[in-house]
Amino acid sequence: MITPAARPEPHCGHDTWYPLAARITNVVQENFNTRTITLEMVDQAQRNDYQWRPGQFNMLYVPSVGEAAISISSDSDKPQVLEHTIRTVGSVTRAIEHMPVGSVVGLRGPFGEGWPIEAIEGKDVVMMCGGIGLAPLRPMVYWLLNHREMCRRVVLLYGCRTPEDRLYADELEQWHEDPRIDVLVTVDNATSQWVGPVGVVTNLLRRIKVSARETVVMVCGPRILNRVGAWSFLQLHVPPEQVYVSLERNMNCGFGRCGHCQYGPKFVCRDGPVFRYSDIHDIFAKEEV
Amino acid sequence: MSVPDGKRWFLPKESLDALIAVLHQQQYVVIGPVFHDRAIRLEQVQRADQLARGVRDEHSGGQYRLIDGNQELLFEYVVGPDSAKKFFFPPRQELFSLHVKGEQFVIDKVGPAAPKLAILGLRPCDLAAIAVQDRVFGYHQPAGDEAPWASGFRCESELYYTQAREQSLLIAVNCVRPGGTCFCASWGNGPQVNKDMPYDLAMTEMRKGFVIRSKSRKGAAIISSLSLRDADDAEVELEGLLLQRAAEHMGRQLQTDDLPQLLDRAIDSPHWDNVAKRCLSCGNCTMVCPTCFCSTVSDSDDLATGSTTRTREWESCYTHQFSYTTSGPVRSSIRARYRHWLRHKLDTWHDQFGVSGCVGCGRCITWCPVGIDLTAEVESIRRYDSRDENHAPPRITVEARP
Ligand SMILES: Cc1cc2nc3c(=O)[nH]c(=O)nc-3n(C[C@H](O)[C@H](O)[C@H](O)COP(=O)(O)OP(=O)(O)OC[C@H]3O[C@@H](n4cnc5c(N)ncnc54)[C@H](O)[C@@H]3O)c2cc1C
Ligand code: SF4
Ligand code: SF4
Ligand code: FES
Repeated sequence: MITPAARPEPHCGHDTWYPLAARITNVVQENFNTRTITLEMVDQAQRNDYQWRPGQFNMLYVPSVGEAAISISSDSDKPQVLEHTIRTVGSVTRAIEHMPVGSVVGLRGPFGEGWPIEAIEGKDVVMMCGGIGLAPLRPMVYWLLNHREMCRRVVLLYGCRTPEDRLYADELEQWHEDPRIDVLVTVDNATSQWVGPVGVVTNLLRRIKVSARETVVMVCGPRILNRVGAWSFLQLHVPPEQVYVSLERNMNCGFGRCGHCQYGPKFVCRDGPVFRYSDIHDIFAKEEV
Repeated sequence: MSVPDGKRWFLPKESLDALIAVLHQQQYVVIGPVFHDRAIRLEQVQRADQLARGVRDEHSGGQYRLIDGNQELLFEYVVGPDSAKKFFFPPRQELFSLHVKGEQFVIDKVGPAAPKLAILGLRPCDLAAIAVQDRVFGYHQPAGDEAPWASGFRCESELYYTQAREQSLLIAVNCVRPGGTCFCASWGNGPQVNKDMPYDLAMTEMRKGFVIRSKSRKGAAIISSLSLRDADDAEVELEGLLLQRAAEHMGRQLQTDDLPQLLDRAIDSPHWDNVAKRCLSCGNCTMVCPTCFCSTVSDSDDLATGSTTRTREWESCYTHQFSYTTSGPVRSSIRARYRHWLRHKLDTWHDQFGVSGCVGCGRCITWCPVGIDLTAEVESIRRYDSRDENHAPPRITVEARP
């Protein structure tokens, strides 16, 4: 919480450099380098005000270390419970890794355009993701399950290195049993217990039937998966207007001012991170844009 | 009160100190061009005799030199490495300091208050650049003089920009001697001010004094408190001649009407490799450019008090860390970084802010250590483009994919 004098207006952190204080209320170790932390805004009013959409992200702040863009990975119908699934790769993510339950981190957000909830009505939804890319799609899965009447089929295709690397392993099992959603998980390297598919996630497309015109696609993964994933759906003749990709860029401000996240004419933080393929088709295949 | 555009007064040279005194009376910090660090810099001045006098500047790709000029003239040079950007969007700006106490962030210090500045000696291209940054930072010049930034809360650094801009008084000097790298006329941004530019007063220098006009209420008030006489017909005619001659002597030219389309098509131009062989990726061009706005906020600690300060600093798209992600920098090659910069300036800026990101000031040409010249690079790109039979923009079709 910030002293009122310093904060000209109460708001939810998406147009300010001042971090809101949030406490860690739970920690789940997902795999060897990834944890899911649950955050709760310290200030009651901020907790009640905070609303977000699947696909949006926060800038998480550790004083004297810095900020990192992290997607919200929980259920947007319970907006006060803010889970963030964080892979440790550098200074900020390592600092958060060492924080026990009860610690306080800074939070600014929510930022960005989320997944296209408006576009899915009456359609099939196919989500394809790899590694940490499941984190920004998990709120979408929750949303689809909560509002199941909105669309027709729901398919989740997920790829990761080994079975031990799977995020949300218990939940994946649950969804696997759930008749409302088809979940297919593939691994690059199987272990002896693994009975599922092995290979890259795009191979899973052979196992499902895609009715191209009637399908909305959401892709989130490392750079290479974003490309190969999106193109594989285009090859199945899904219209480019119905393919959505969540992109990653270096981010500093989150609200379209610092310039870091530029992608051609777009600011990924403000205009994305989720983009419709047809809006970026002229730069999507280009290197180093 | 609106001032008719055509109305001109005459400000004798001796009255420059009176002008500065009026500004001081109105609590302005007065900024003007001075001779410092062997260059023309924009710095605080107390008196007119601190302004650079009797110097001319020579500009070409990678070269800047000051030589003796006419001792009677104060504004015989054009722009130096500084621009108004450093005042409204400071190179280094503390946002706030905080420490953690229990479950709270306690603010120890907020950022500096926005200054009240009168900037004297801005050039028409400088005004055009201010108008560009006004869009970037969400400040819009009002129709009258009403406070324009009152609508809605913005982040702290923008609040600083909008307040500093709102409080500022801009006194422009038209260019009668354009520099060797200037191409403002190609953009319609000079060598004289136009009615769309944000200024309060604009002057044209002659031997004995200045023909001066006002655009705003603030400017008109200053004119009347100086009780200036009207400019006579000969003075107005001379002003017209000087400015017309200036327009015919621009150092550089650029065909500007088709740049977004040209650079859209040029994303795979072979010319980027040519530039990459010369560009050092030093970032000078982004630092001197009056419209470049990229920045980075980072933390620094005061070990004595335990307080952390978040500071915003200018950043350049030519650095590796600018686009760094876990899988490496997005733009790791110099080719890609120069391409990003040039396309941003001339092409994608239009998509983002509805204007060009270049105003034609020529700074990036002068201050590039290897003399890379935006106007020449565009011409080379244009030559490659016209050689190319296939003018269609690159389309990614499903069939074209492996
Ligand atoms: C929209 C968006 C959503 C994201 N969601 C998640 C998520 O849910 N879970 C997760 O684990 N990671 C996520 N990331 C990636 C995460 O932001 C980076 O891993 C993180 O910034 C690394 O910070 P660091 O200080 O630990 O690493 P360092 O390597 O120490 O960071 C140094 C600098 O590089 C920048 N940086 C480094 N890697 C990245 C990166 N991959 N993307 C953007 N900037 C980077 C940092 O901002 C910082 O400026 C997301 C990124 C974006 C853009
Ligand atoms: S790109 Fe170069 S010429 Fe254009 S405004 Fe910037 S510094 Fe001036
Ligand atoms: S174009 Fe010139 S000034 Fe700009 S980064 Fe390259 S070498 Fe530096
Ligand atoms: S993160 Fe600053 S502009 Fe996008």
